[in-house]
Amino acid sequence: MIFAIETNSLSKSFGPVHAVNSVDLRVGQGEIYGFLGLNGAGKTTTIRALLGMIRPSAGSVKVLEQAVGPYGRGPWRRVGHLVERPVAYPELTVWENLEISRRLQGIPNKTATSRVIEQLGLASYADRKAGALSTGNLQRLGLARALLHEPELLILDEPANGLDPAGVVEIRELLASLAHQKGVTVFMSSHILTEVDRLATRIGIIHQGRLIEELEATRLEEIRAQRLEIKAHNLATAQSILTQAGYAVKMNTDTLILNEGRAIQAPDEVATLLVNAGVPPTRLAVEQEDLEQYFLRLTGEIL
Amino acid sequence: MKTFFTALWVEMLKALRSKMVLATAAGFMILPLAGGLFMLILKDPEQARAMGIINAKAQITAMTADWPSFLEMMAMGIGGMGEILFAFIAAWIFGREFSDHTVKEWLALPARREIIVSAKFVVIAIWTLALTLMVFLVGMGVGSAIGIPGGSFNLAWTTFWTVMLTVLLINMLMPFAAFFASLGHGYLLPLAWTILALGLADLVSILGWGDWFPWGVPVLVSGMVKPNADHLGVHSYLMVLLTCIIGLAITFAWWRSADQTR
Repeated sequence: MIFAIETNSLSKSFGPVHAVNSVDLRVGQGEIYGFLGLNGAGKTTTIRALLGMIRPSAGSVKVLEQAVGPYGRGPWRRVGHLVERPVAYPELTVWENLEISRRLQGIPNKTATSRVIEQLGLASYADRKAGALSTGNLQRLGLARALLHEPELLILDEPANGLDPAGVVEIRELLASLAHQKGVTVFMSSHILTEVDRLATRIGIIHQGRLIEELEATRLEEIRAQRLEIKAHNLATAQSILTQAGYAVKMNTDTLILNEGRAIQAPDEVATLLVNAGVPPTRLAVEQEDLEQYFLRLTGEIL
Repeated sequence: MKTFFTALWVEMLKALRSKMVLATAAGFMILPLAGGLFMLILKDPEQARAMGIINAKAQITAMTADWPSFLEMMAMGIGGMGEILFAFIAAWIFGREFSDHTVKEWLALPARREIIVSAKFVVIAIWTLALTLMVFLVGMGVGSAIGIPGGSFNLAWTTFWTVMLTVLLINMLMPFAAFFASLGHGYLLPLAWTILALGLADLVSILGWGDWFPWGVPVLVSGMVKPNADHLGVHSYLMVLLTCIIGLAITFAWWRSADQTR
């Protein structure tokens, strides 16, 4: 298989801090890879190493089958990127910011700038100075810059940052169409896990510098834990009754959560128990955890 | 070569669109305007006496209101002020990429980083040269408008080349300012370095070794530190050249291999 991104035992330390620890990534061409992690987990450091912005302490990085060096060497004509928050020269207009990128990318097609301006919905801001843009439009400018040269690989750090809900959907659809119609590989980190859940074909989870989980999105459906969620007018009493009946119950704000198999397989028994005790549930449902809950459970950030 | 000219166009556009061009031009224009005012006061002693403190300073410098004094003052000003102002320009050109966080946009590009860094140095040279020419021409205009005596083409020509040599030497010291802007991810470190270097240049010049200290050489050439000017020789220019080479080498090496975490 040809990999768009391949790292072998990629490690990066800053003094005593191991920001990235022996990460082996394999991202196939045409994949949409969601890269998840808590703040400080090592996402951005990994992305910077992929882009040759930092020198790995150990291991190697290949992007589009080309070794990435720490001195600007790499297949950058074929890679679009957005690292952390988008930036632009504030005194230059949107058009000028993109035009300098077009020229430095060596793109001969002069219409490329207008194309991405249209594509990212920046037409009405083209003559506006970047310093006067909202965070969302600055994000669009960053994405436009990443797409300027019609790259084969997009490496995006939080691409939906600062966008309004409509913008989030728009960017999701844009990335999906690039991947599905043009075969563009997308490697994206995001803290909006529902977006990753909807878009990614494969997901990697990095925690404390280590890649602790990597799985297909379809597989994720299978392994997400189920749980019984209960709401009632008197949650404390309901919890007490269920605990006395031998269930392990967790309270999460306004919901009781039962993770045991017997509760999930026979929710009617739980309901009967509560009704007979005079605390009828107002809601009782078997739910599958979403990516966010799965992620938090995996990283140990939630009980 | 095409990539270099593209990078140069980009750097020029960034500089021209900024307010820094006007700010540095306004700052440097103090030289001919203040010099002209000084000449005007010296030309009319009655008015000079009425001005109090300015008259006292005029007597201390023992200058006369003529072209040789005016041009000498201009050359000295360009030498002294140029070292600070040009370092500020270099610090801004390199340091702004960090303060605006735009540096990451030109790290993963098909254009080699060395080319972009080179383009930045060329913009520094063009910018500082343009400022100097502007100040020199305005100075000539101010001097003519005041009507000070003693002018000649030869005097202007000689001063012009002294100024050009001074500016060239100052530019050769700019790689160190660029390096410190890169290393320090901003403006503070290069400016602190420049002030330190100028302080050391003063000290070394007083001790009589200014001709050996690279940051002392431009001010000696400009005539700012007269007693040691006679000591200037090939060794002085070689010291500046060596500093330039070392500055370029460490700046390019830094851009090639340093981690870019901003």
